[in-house]
Amino acid sequence: MEIKILGGGCAKCERLEKLAREVAAEMGVEATFTKVKDLDAIMAYDVVSTPALVIDEEEVKPSGRVPRREEIVEWLRTA
Amino acid sequence: MNALEYLAVLLQTGMGSLAAYLAAHVLLCLLPAFFIAGALSVLIPKEAVTKYLGRDAPKWISYPASAFGGFVLAVCSCTIMPLFASIYKKGAGLGPALTFLFVGPAINILAITFTGVQIGMDIALARIVLSALFGIGIGLLMAWFFRREDKTRAPDGGGAFAQDAQVPARTWAFFALLLAVLIAGTLQVGLLTNSYATFTLPGAWAGEFQAWLDSVVPPNPSLGIEGVSVYGVFLIGLLMLIGIAAWLGLNKVDEGINGWTYAALGLISLTLVVASFKVVASDGPSTSSGQGLSVGVTGKLITEVALIAAVWWMAIRRFDVYEVQDWLWETWRFVKQIIPLLLVGVFVAGMARTIIPATWIETLAGRNTVWANLVGVLFGVFMYFPTLVEVPVAQTFLSLGMHRGPLLAYLLADPALSLQSILITNSVIGRKKTAVYVALVTIFSTLSGLIFGLFVK
Repeated sequence: MEIKILGGGCAKCERLEKLAREVAAEMGVEATFTKVKDLDAIMAYDVVSTPALVIDEEEVKPSGRVPRREEIVEWLRTA
Repeated sequence: MNALEYLAVLLQTGMGSLAAYLAAHVLLCLLPAFFIAGALSVLIPKEAVTKYLGRDAPKWISYPASAFGGFVLAVCSCTIMPLFASIYKKGAGLGPALTFLFVGPAINILAITFTGVQIGMDIALARIVLSALFGIGIGLLMAWFFRREDKTRAPDGGGAFAQDAQVPARTWAFFALLLAVLIAGTLQVGLLTNSYATFTLPGAWAGEFQAWLDSVVPPNPSLGIEGVSVYGVFLIGLLMLIGIAAWLGLNKVDEGINGWTYAALGLISLTLVVASFKVVASDGPSTSSGQGLSVGVTGKLITEVALIAAVWWMAIRRFDVYEVQDWLWETWRFVKQIIPLLLVGVFVAGMARTIIPATWIETLAGRNTVWANLVGVLFGVFMYFPTLVEVPVAQTFLSLGMHRGPLLAYLLADPALSLQSILITNSVIGRKKTAVYVALVTIFSTLSGLIFGLFVK
């Protein structure tokens, strides 16, 4: 599974990355994590604001906030 | 005066401003403002505002929504650039994007409260009204100048703007409460500032301690240096305790609430309440209250106790743990990001009062002329100050004799136009548009200062 974290290195993005890594590890999901910091590259996705999480190139909604742990669990399960 | 003495005076004025600042200003205005900023950032879903900023939104909605969005969403600079880029590229377009960019840094809750308390409500209100007005004006003009290019933008991916979200009623109520804490703490009306009961803490030490403080940090009204009171020292002590408890309790609050979290929040509540007493050190046996500290129970105190209790109740009963954690984490993050730079800024701006001769400022910007306003704007462009530091800098100028018109011009231009922000804007909208935007901001800020200056002395 390929997980991308969109966001230019702000504190929320760091927190999202940490949380997503934790959840993936707990669920035993094999995933590669990439940080996308370039504004143009971020704008290529359908997001309004950062941070945002992209799973296998399919955009996941929460832009501009850190989602709850349960939300991430749900996305990783259905992806 | 030899070099060593001069250095001592410099440090003394720097420390003086820092101490006066901590004891008087930070407490009742900035503490609640940080909590509001944190709440705005996490409790308002961005979609509640961005749904008005889509490609098909009519102008009379998208421009005011951009200005409002600047107020609500732009507390943190890391939110501003991605939102700006997406409004420009996928949403309502160049005009509203620039309105958002201009309004955001100038009228976020922290900047406005801080300006209001330290410089004056007139400047704070002018900052809100003129930023919103001219932000919309600049956006409209830019959209008109570049109307052809705007039509050729690729019509892809505006889907993110179609997402809807509502702000729940409890969130509105919570904001109203937090705002009330802020206003009750800062508003200077008789009902709040009058003491309804007074008692005296006995002891001759208070007067002596005050005399000592006055000798260490001498008040100097001509330079706007207030000096420090016994009570102020006590409040600074409380602030330091808050700092320690917050470091232990709020740094990792996203992972869980611990005992230190409650300690920090308890101390903050206590400090806000304690700071609402009216305390004066009375010395000499001739005064009716005798020696000691005279403590007044003010209307403010009673109001703050009730409001803070209500905030606690709502946070515990009406929000779930995750939301509260998120709120505290974000609040603490703002504090960590802004306060250290701000303290350095206050210290340096305080020292600058003794270095810069008042005659310079008076000659350059002592009167409300076009030239003086332009000087204010240009200074804002070429000097880069971290968030909020523009306020103590402005206060230094004010105490050195700057007219309030040029002062407002400076305060409008500084957050919007630093060399750094010009570079980032440039990378999103290109050189030509950036140049026109910078020119417009310069003209409009100068004009605002000039117009505002006509109405004040």
